[in-house]
Amino acid sequence: MTGSRSPVAPAAPGGAAGLPAVHGEAHWTRKGDVRLALWRKYVGRPDGKRPLLFVHGSSMSSRPAFDLEIEGRPASSVMNVFARLGYDTWCVDMEGYGRSDKHRPINCDVATGADDLAAASAYILAATGADRLLLYGGSSGALRAALFTERHPERVERLALLALVWTGEGSPTLEQRRKKLPEYLANTRRPIDRAFLRTIFERDHPGTADDRVIEAFADAVLAYDDSVPTGTYVDMCANLPLVDPARIPVPTLVLRGQWDGIASFEDVVAFFARLPNPDKHLAVVPGVAHASLHERNGAIVRHLLHAFFDRPRPVYRGEP
Amino acid sequence: MTTHARAFPAPSGAPVTGQEHWTTKKKGDVRLFLWNKYVGSPDAPLGRILFVHGSSMGSQPTFDLKVPGRDDSSAMDVFARLGYDTWCVDMEGYGRSDKHRPINCDIATGADDLEAATDYIFSVRGNTPLLVYGISSGALRAALFAQRHPERVKRLALDAFVWTGEGSPTLEQRRKKLPEYQAKHRRPIDRDFVRSIFTRDHPGTADDVVIEAFADAILALDDSVPTGTYVDMCANLPVVDPEKILVPTIIMRGQYDGIAGFDDLVRFFTKLPNPDKQFAVMPGIAHASFHQKNYAIVYHILHGFFSQPDPIYRGH
Repeated sequence: MTGSRSPVAPAAPGGAAGLPAVHGEAHWTRKGDVRLALWRKYVGRPDGKRPLLFVHGSSMSSRPAFDLEIEGRPASSVMNVFARLGYDTWCVDMEGYGRSDKHRPINCDVATGADDLAAASAYILAATGADRLLLYGGSSGALRAALFTERHPERVERLALLALVWTGEGSPTLEQRRKKLPEYLANTRRPIDRAFLRTIFERDHPGTADDRVIEAFADAVLAYDDSVPTGTYVDMCANLPLVDPARIPVPTLVLRGQWDGIASFEDVVAFFARLPNPDKHLAVVPGVAHASLHERNGAIVRHLLHAFFDRPRPVYRGEP
Repeated sequence: MTTHARAFPAPSGAPVTGQEHWTTKKKGDVRLFLWNKYVGSPDAPLGRILFVHGSSMGSQPTFDLKVPGRDDSSAMDVFARLGYDTWCVDMEGYGRSDKHRPINCDIATGADDLEAATDYIFSVRGNTPLLVYGISSGALRAALFAQRHPERVKRLALDAFVWTGEGSPTLEQRRKKLPEYQAKHRRPIDRDFVRSIFTRDHPGTADDVVIEAFADAILALDDSVPTGTYVDMCANLPVVDPEKILVPTIIMRGQYDGIAGFDDLVRFFTKLPNPDKQFAVMPGIAHASFHQKNYAIVYHILHGFFSQPDPIYRGH
């Protein structure tokens, strides 16, 4: 195991709500000469708990996405929610994001993210002693997670893909994004600011998230990054499909927000139909656009995720 | 998941209250038998489920089966212990409901039965929309009922469902006997026939002890069943229009289920207008999901769907 651990506890005191305190720990691992920052949260002791790794998208690092702490809204941190449900939760800043290294002159595309997940998963499996991970990816994080699963199915127990796009056909968001493709191709990073972060919540269907959450999210994102890599945008605009559903052999959940413009419904259904594992589930989430965990109906997403990760294993799997 | 304890508990062993009820349709000409189970009080915190059976058995063998040594073979007991008020009803022509009318009790007749059953349940429990689960032709009955009465259905679960019948190996075989089904209102059933439900798609998905207990329970109530749903499934599909099913819906599809082509179900799912919809494929399962070795997965998916939080935001 290449890496280090620096306990930071407790990260989320139980507080007035009477919820169990959640402990947070910073961890580090390496991918060659690149340092990757991991963040782990759990309740009590992590021993024997199932590791769950959250994978972030194109325009933010991992903690704003998965450990957003807002006073009076304990569910804004999905890591806290799942830690309290009994999981050993992890997230990792992809290369070029947040606290991970940003020194290489590359645009950190989806394949680079899958490399990061290979390094992060090796570290987590060694640290926990688990055989496999539960894996969640949102937006380009879903592409990273899916590609990583294609490469390392033996490390993934169950895979949840939210706000996924497969071929990109019929995607209103990508049609708009392609207008700036030459700019993304010309630079390895693109600037981000508060106005841009607001568009993530407003481009598909304004009203799906509370202003207070959007502002807290923007604060958290901008505390780590004023620019992000262009690679996943380039990939989503010009290089889809990046994954082959027929080569994703693990149980898979596909979550689709009602108004998510990142993919057409037909594209998502075509992906789902090709998944070979008979343990698969497609859920459309009502009243949700693209950034579902931070939207008003986030409880539905958390419910679906927990239900999928918690599903009993088959007693019977057919004849070999 | 902050408000719903979703981790699936093992059956607690809490005593389950069972009560029989009766209602009528056709101005009292047809008596329908209902069976209700709950734990403690029927004011169940998670809601009220109506289970709808399929073509070849009454309701209790499907949803309240007792198997020696297995305390979770009864879906009604399991869901009652989870906190639901559970109901099932024998369709006209099945089980303890009336069988005297000279009709074949097709899908539409079943949807009529569900209208009468829900009239009754609302009269004794209040007008709270129901969580409705239907399996096989029970899914067609439930879907047609939801199409007619969306205001009575809170969430709809369709297991072992078929829409157009295109690409269905089971229906291709069944059509060979269509003239026989069309010539009669009832068809005989026996133990071998019940066993064939479990072996026709993929032998091995169910334990023999469960199959035999299921056959015992069915044959204690019926030695023949109506032909109407078979005729409908062989000759009259589609009998429901997904675009007219307005309620939140889940399609539950067994990996080996031959009743429908996978593409048939995907097309149906795509046309459902409610944005709250799901499609679950269940590994190692064929057609009669509650009685298969992987039944715990079926319970888990259904509980997850029925206990899903309501949207806070629904758009403008």
